[in-house]
Amino acid sequence: MPDTSSKAPAAVATPRPRRRRRRSADWEGLLYVLPAAALVIVFFMIPLGMTIWMSLHKWPLMGKPRWIGLDNYSRLLGDSDFWNALGFTVQYTLAATAGLLGVALILALMVERPARGVAFYRTAYFLPVVTGFASASLLWAWLSNVDSGLFSPLAQTIGLTSEPVNILATFGPAFWSVTIMVVWKMAGFHMVILMSGLQSIPADYIEAARIDGAKAHQRFRYITLPLVRRPFALALILCVSGSMLAFDQFYIILSGGPQNQTVTAVYHIFNESFVSFRLGYGAALSVVLLAILLVLSAIQLRLLRDRGETR
Amino acid sequence: MNAATMDASIRAPARRRGRIRYHRAVFHVTAVLVALLFLAPIFWVVAASFRTKAESGQPPLPPWPSGPFSIDSYLRLENFGQSILHYSGNSLFVAVGTAALTIVVSTLAGYGFSRFNFPLKGLVFLLVLATIMVPFQSILTPLFLLLAKMGLQNTLIGLILIYTTLQLPFSVFMMRNAFDAVPKEIEEAARIDGVKGARMLVQVMGPLVLPGVVTVGLFAFLNAWNEFLAALVLLTDQSKFTLPVLMTAVRSGRFGSIDWGAVQAGVTVMMIPCLILFLILQRSYIRGLTAGAVK
Amino acid sequence: MKTKILSGALILAATGLGGVAQADSFTLWVRSDGSEFMPKLVEAFNAKGEHEAQLQIVPVNELVQKYAIAAAGGSAPDALSLDLIYTPAFAAAGQLKDITDLVESLPYRDALSPAHMSVGTYDGRIYGLPFSADASVLLWNKDLYRAAGLDPEQGPTTWAEIREDAEAIAALGDDTYGFYFSGSCGGCNVFTFTPLIWASGGDIFADEGKTATLASPEVREAIDFYRGMVQAGIVPAGAQTDTGANFFAAFANGNIGISPSGSFAIGALNNQYPDLDYGVALLPGKEGGASSFAGGDNFVVSQDTENLEPIKAFLEFAYSVEGQTILANNGSLPVRADVAAEALEGLDARNLVSAEAMTVGRTPYSVVFNDLINSSNGPWATTLNRAFFAEDDAVVDEAVEEGQEEMQSIIDAAG
Repeated sequence: MPDTSSKAPAAVATPRPRRRRRRSADWEGLLYVLPAAALVIVFFMIPLGMTIWMSLHKWPLMGKPRWIGLDNYSRLLGDSDFWNALGFTVQYTLAATAGLLGVALILALMVERPARGVAFYRTAYFLPVVTGFASASLLWAWLSNVDSGLFSPLAQTIGLTSEPVNILATFGPAFWSVTIMVVWKMAGFHMVILMSGLQSIPADYIEAARIDGAKAHQRFRYITLPLVRRPFALALILCVSGSMLAFDQFYIILSGGPQNQTVTAVYHIFNESFVSFRLGYGAALSVVLLAILLVLSAIQLRLLRDRGETR
Repeated sequence: MNAATMDASIRAPARRRGRIRYHRAVFHVTAVLVALLFLAPIFWVVAASFRTKAESGQPPLPPWPSGPFSIDSYLRLENFGQSILHYSGNSLFVAVGTAALTIVVSTLAGYGFSRFNFPLKGLVFLLVLATIMVPFQSILTPLFLLLAKMGLQNTLIGLILIYTTLQLPFSVFMMRNAFDAVPKEIEEAARIDGVKGARMLVQVMGPLVLPGVVTVGLFAFLNAWNEFLAALVLLTDQSKFTLPVLMTAVRSGRFGSIDWGAVQAGVTVMMIPCLILFLILQRSYIRGLTAGAVK
Repeated sequence: MKTKILSGALILAATGLGGVAQADSFTLWVRSDGSEFMPKLVEAFNAKGEHEAQLQIVPVNELVQKYAIAAAGGSAPDALSLDLIYTPAFAAAGQLKDITDLVESLPYRDALSPAHMSVGTYDGRIYGLPFSADASVLLWNKDLYRAAGLDPEQGPTTWAEIREDAEAIAALGDDTYGFYFSGSCGGCNVFTFTPLIWASGGDIFADEGKTATLASPEVREAIDFYRGMVQAGIVPAGAQTDTGANFFAAFANGNIGISPSGSFAIGALNNQYPDLDYGVALLPGKEGGASSFAGGDNFVVSQDTENLEPIKAFLEFAYSVEGQTILANNGSLPVRADVAAEALEGLDARNLVSAEAMTVGRTPYSVVFNDLINSSNGPWATTLNRAFFAEDDAVVDEAVEEGQEEMQSIIDAAG
């Protein structure tokens, strides 16, 4: 509930002529949000409840489910594959978030003020965003291919390497290749979010600070940064939750390889559920992942709310 | 260059002006190089998709065909089931349907959350936002069982409903903020003129939140157009496949031979509509996204 | 172009026009590997006008998921042409109809491929019938053999010969390589790598699939054989990350000397790469001998299917000389031994090598085959990838040891 707290008092505090109609207005508001709530309940809450229910069963994809209580959860504690996958997901989330927000902030600072050519730059940086993860991953799978792709033959042509180098064959290059793909694809999105924050800073703040003798880095630290905190928090939330749920790129480009080192948490759940057909166990893994994500987002929502208090 | 910077550069002493010009040149060179970097992969795949079959397996150096442009790679896509137009039609139906439904549902909800107080408002808002925190991969199997119960399994309509639900947290958040940005006075004035209920929403508020509507619709369209995992699991009838599902079949190859030319063509077919749509709607899209993010 | 339109129309005719069913019809799925022969077979069957099969081609990697989800939703096909190694798992899950009686009524029952029948049997009852067959074989490029001064008519018959020939060919130039395999593909390697072990007297399972024997000396020798070629630089760099997408095409492009492959490759090479001059040999053991993976599809019937009449008619048609000839002409080997010679008549003589491979072929039996072997994140694929491309011996030891442990624990968990 990032913002309802700051809105609600305003609505109550203002005396209104329609105050006596408030009861009916109550129900009117509920009516408006009803379709959204219905969709979320039917296609989200109920399946979520079923996931928890299934996690208490041995539930093969084919055949009859059997109640086993918390067995799935006790098995999960010793499942090193899952914890490895989770560890890798965190590693990827850190790399992707740092890369994405860093690049996005630089891009945003470059194009925040209108000037000649800036509209073109913005469009260029944003274009990869509108391609899907599936198409971007397919594209990258091709570019990274050692025989028919671009990267290795290009490196050889310009004399960087003498032999073909299969960048997808070892963990380091493969990991960074995918991370770079994600930065390429998503930086524009976060750039726009951060840019909107930068643009909301009144120019006279900066000017006033400049007149007061504040240096560029000081102006950035004490004026820009606090004011972009809210959009930054939004970008951070989208980035972290997106990265923690990463699947497509590792599935399409790397198939979890080399040697299973890039299997993410969702990928592992997918494997358990749709490759090994242990739906019950997959459900238990989902519940654990969900709990972790909820804790993470609770922390991040706090970041968002702080600003409301300082205002 | 706007008037203010022009003014400043005229008033500045010559040495400072030179430095500004130097800085500006460095800036533009950097910005252009970065732009090329961002555009290169897209350019590369589009250009490469017009090579002949023999060339399509070779490294794309240079990416464009050595001879005349060939649409052979696109034609070879037809080897994978029905015509590419059929699958594009499926994708288009799902994407347009998702966009329309998302716009209606999230506009209503955004209006409700922004302008009304009602019991459990905070809880419902949190409920909608929380969707983004749950990997939908983990609820895919229950979703399928549910759709089967509703008689919607293996239908594009079922897919639209699920995509719309996935779209809601972002869209409702966006529309709530878009409505928040509209001054209350406008509504009050209209109310005094006797406008109320749905007319208020459509005629008075509608035009004011249009950028938000376009953003929400565009995101819904793009995400539905590009999504592949749910489609992969939920559609079992090949005549219902959307483009990304078709492309996984193309990419996994047949008889252990991957046709990179067909992959290039498929990626192009998947990307181009998104790029065109964005270029047309860019202005209101970015404006809507910005308005949403600042609030 | 014409053939494309034609095959498109075929699939349309096979799947779409259900309305004219004047007799019984049934729905039939086939994995995409069968998209050469199945539409032709179905078309010929439907043309008889007695019954109608409604065919749907399902991408090979999604078949099991799609089937299981469809079954859960009550929309499973009546029958399915299934990768034979999945038959035990499907039968164990209670998804398949016991067709023992139908099988016993076939007069040529004993002529049907024994490898298929063995995995089609679960708990003494028959659930799967041989449908299409594909045996693993060794291919060599005769043009490159000539260029390297080797005898183009004599394929390698031991591991040492493979290594020697491959090195001679790799020495031809930068873009020419001696040997190719899909290094990141569990399914490909069980198909082409385990026969090397079998032919040398080893195996990856013992006790009817209850024990994993990955850490046995025969497996280790085969791993070292592949690893030696990788280290000698005669395997292209792309092999390490090939998840099977390039399994066939690498050899077809003409710059690979030797590659293990499948009998399907003969038809595909002749159709798509008519200029490539290649030979077919049996996969050898270390010191000679031969083996093969007897692969292909089993035909199974869904648990809930009521009307077996059209399905039986379809099977009888497929097993007829006409049906077996359609199979043999479109990338599959015949599965009925007593008419195999007749069905293969007039075809490329190299098919006879595959037919021979089929007779020496084996098929591993496991209800968790997918988890162990085919899954790209399973222990088999992972272990081999680590071991083949390991820099030093210690890594191989570790990979094999961990793989053995993981395989055994998966088997035990399923048991």
